[in-house]
Amino acid sequence: MIHRKLFSYLVAMILTASLMAIATPAARAARVGESAPDFTGTASDGQTFKLSQFRGKYVVLEWHNHECPYTMKHYTSGNMQSLQKEWRAKGVVWFTIISSAPGKQGYMEPAAENAYLKKMGADPTAAILDPTGTIGRLYDAKTTPQMIVIDPKGVLIYDGAIDDHPTTEVSDIKISKNYLDAALTESMAGQAVQTPVTRPYGCSVKYEGAE
Amino acid sequence: MLRLLAAFFLGLTVLTGAGPVFAQASPAKPASGHGPIHALHITVELVPVSNSIQPGGSAEVGLHMVMDKGWHVYWSNAGDSGEPPQVAWKLPKGITADAMQFPAPERISYGPLMDYGYPDEVVFPIALHAAVGLKAGATEPLGARVNWLVCREECIPGKADFVLPMKVTSQPPTTDAAAAALLQRFQAQLPQPLPPGSKALFQPTPSGFTFALLGSHAGQPASSAEFFPLDQMLISNPAPQTVRESGGNLLIALKKDENLSTAPANLRGVLRFADGVSYQVDAVPGEFAGANFAASPAAGGGQVAATSSETLSHLLRIGVLAFFGGMVLNLMPCVFPVLFLKGLALVGSSGESRRRLRAHGAVYTLGILVSFWAIVAVLLVLRAGGHRLGWGFQFQSPSFLAVIALLFFFLGLSLAGMFDIGLSLTSKGSGLADQGGYGGSFFTGVLAMVVATPCTAPFMGVAVGFALAQPAVIAFAVFTALGLGLAAPFVLLTLHPAWTRLLPRPGAWMEILKQGTAVILFAVAIWMVWLFATAAGVNALSAGLLPGFLLLAIAGWILGRWPARLGASAAALVVIAAAIALPLVAVRSFPAAPSGQMDAANAGGEDWQPFSDAVLQKYRAENRPVFIDFTASWCLSCQVNERVVLDRADVRQRLKDSGIVLLRADWTRHDDAITQALSQLGRSGVPTYVLYPSGGPARVLPEVLTPGIVFNALQGVNASRTDTRAAQGQVTEGAGSGKS
Repeated sequence: MIHRKLFSYLVAMILTASLMAIATPAARAARVGESAPDFTGTASDGQTFKLSQFRGKYVVLEWHNHECPYTMKHYTSGNMQSLQKEWRAKGVVWFTIISSAPGKQGYMEPAAENAYLKKMGADPTAAILDPTGTIGRLYDAKTTPQMIVIDPKGVLIYDGAIDDHPTTEVSDIKISKNYLDAALTESMAGQAVQTPVTRPYGCSVKYEGAE
Repeated sequence: MLRLLAAFFLGLTVLTGAGPVFAQASPAKPASGHGPIHALHITVELVPVSNSIQPGGSAEVGLHMVMDKGWHVYWSNAGDSGEPPQVAWKLPKGITADAMQFPAPERISYGPLMDYGYPDEVVFPIALHAAVGLKAGATEPLGARVNWLVCREECIPGKADFVLPMKVTSQPPTTDAAAAALLQRFQAQLPQPLPPGSKALFQPTPSGFTFALLGSHAGQPASSAEFFPLDQMLISNPAPQTVRESGGNLLIALKKDENLSTAPANLRGVLRFADGVSYQVDAVPGEFAGANFAASPAAGGGQVAATSSETLSHLLRIGVLAFFGGMVLNLMPCVFPVLFLKGLALVGSSGESRRRLRAHGAVYTLGILVSFWAIVAVLLVLRAGGHRLGWGFQFQSPSFLAVIALLFFFLGLSLAGMFDIGLSLTSKGSGLADQGGYGGSFFTGVLAMVVATPCTAPFMGVAVGFALAQPAVIAFAVFTALGLGLAAPFVLLTLHPAWTRLLPRPGAWMEILKQGTAVILFAVAIWMVWLFATAAGVNALSAGLLPGFLLLAIAGWILGRWPARLGASAAALVVIAAAIALPLVAVRSFPAAPSGQMDAANAGGEDWQPFSDAVLQKYRAENRPVFIDFTASWCLSCQVNERVVLDRADVRQRLKDSGIVLLRADWTRHDDAITQALSQLGRSGVPTYVLYPSGGPARVLPEVLTPGIVFNALQGVNASRTDTRAAQGQVTEGAGSGKS
């Protein structure tokens, strides 16, 4: 009798375990063509932003490290600032995200970041401070500057480099094809994004725990 | 000392306020023309092996970089971040330079990222060539602008202009021994062509690719192998590479890049072993055993344990799926006639003891299992020989179809009352007849498996695809689970006494049931005849299979006229053998008609284009959404899906409106391209329905379609269009209301 009971428990356990194995999806990073994972971030101005609040608008994520020569190429030239102005005027939400850990290159305290934004004339919707690298890892951000575009439905439509010249030469900007511009222009015109994925170029994101 | 120096430079950069840009503000000019120049954390030099070159001859130059401790420069594919060094030559007329060569790199890990490059020191060899007509005597200055990025945690770009004096002379060049030795040290680290007899292949897996080096890997320790991809965005760089040796082959499990949506045509890269020996590999898709051995999403420590438990849970999951899939197979139209036979046998034996019933159940199960094992063994043997076959392949063979058609016809004759198989063929006494009873159970098991295969049922597609790409042991385990599932309902019936008691007592009604079953078997025979005609053509049909039916009718008449007589049975056997031989000979004598009108590809009309990989790639490149119907005329589920769903007027209209490209891959006959396309999707049989949204990854739809499933799937495809239209409206509003 006891044996039979034990046996049925065992069968039930095996069945439950295998059903759970079937039902559990593997966690994975963001992928173009799929919905962008939600996050909440605190900006340098103290405000809190939640990505899902911006459904219905295009959202640009820009990974940033002010000491990275590749990022500097686009800030000293004013290229990034003019992209921010142009697209924000068209209703795009722009988050500059800093995933550098404390003590690593590019890490910013809120006040320092506010001063930097002012000095550079940068005008993102917000500069989100992500010292734990949570948002960076969620999006599998590899480099600065890496650009991500999310459409109004919340679908990731571009992930990659800012343009097609992986250099630190300011003079290359004017001969570059800007992928961010192209993705936003095409998508807003109702077309599919021609180049939805590129290899992001730049410095590695200075995550916590990396050496 | 170095650290002091670094601190000094750092201080300098801060003082000048230029930050790291300092290093690149203007190219450094070496005092001696070709270096060395000392930049931040790196020393760069152009090293000529000789200072002269003969007209028509060559000269070797090395781009030599020495980094501070912890700093590195990059390989041609830098990995997740970084950029390789570059040389831009300014050469006089008559002198040309080959591209710089990259020694095999190392994996350089940085948190969740992985770069490929060179710590400490590296030399990139470059070959220079002089034209035959070049005049001797002059000393030509060769200009080289070198760009680099040197990184530790931070990255510092730098550049330098070198001038290399090169004398053109008819004298043989004098070699600088130290320079030659330096170059040689790094030339030895250049990836070599694969040794003869080795072959690089890859297969897609659920998580990415398995790379395989077949044949000799020159005695290198396999466990130390590392794969470096030449192309970016193919594989996930930081994912651990699990290496295994299997049957003399070296296998490496690679995780694909998250954003990779189409299977690459080849996997180019460098295979490096611990002792520094490395090979250039250009792996092409191909079959080899054991491809699915590891899927290790877990990064970091405990890789091996994670991998094996992952595989185990995956295997368990597939096994459970296979079992349920096997049970569901009982509900498929293919298996119906066999279940009728089985039901008949059950009723016939309902008076028997429970023990005997159980024994029948066990024998039936064994029949299913043995035939599954036989098929798997055939597939594995063929796979080992490099052949590609898919599940249900036997239905691509007209000979097989002929035999099955004859078999069903013959069984139908017997059940219709023409003769009694048990009495005539096994004859003589009840002892043998009892054995015949078990033989019958075994045989119905075989038959159930054989006819079930074309109904690649829900759940089963995945299991079959997975199992056939596995090492033999796993393949057999999965198919055993599948067979047990197929047998399970009948076995349960024989095990449970309460249920068998519900069965009616044998009686006169059994004759009627038998005759009814005969009608169903004749219907199946007609289906087989149609398939045979599709595969082998009308000539083979009228000269082979149809006369075969006539011979079987004669054999049946002999068996019915003289029951249980040895001579008669022998004569009938001869006639039966002739009946089988006839269509088999006919298949060989009459070549198949060219792709006939009966092929599945032509059903559904002009909306559909025939599938080929080139067509698919073309539309994918144009960013058009594509829907592919993998089908075959012998696949009943496919026909049902096409007639009931895909060809429905409203579905056709929706497909048309969505602007989706419709491709039909007809697998009625053996087709390598389609088999390969299926295996890239992790599938092994039909039906398979795949949707490629524009620019997105492939989505495999369920095997049983409904209009709702198709409509839902299409909504996803059109999402980008309708969304952006809606978005534009919102954007204008947003602009009106100012900041967000």
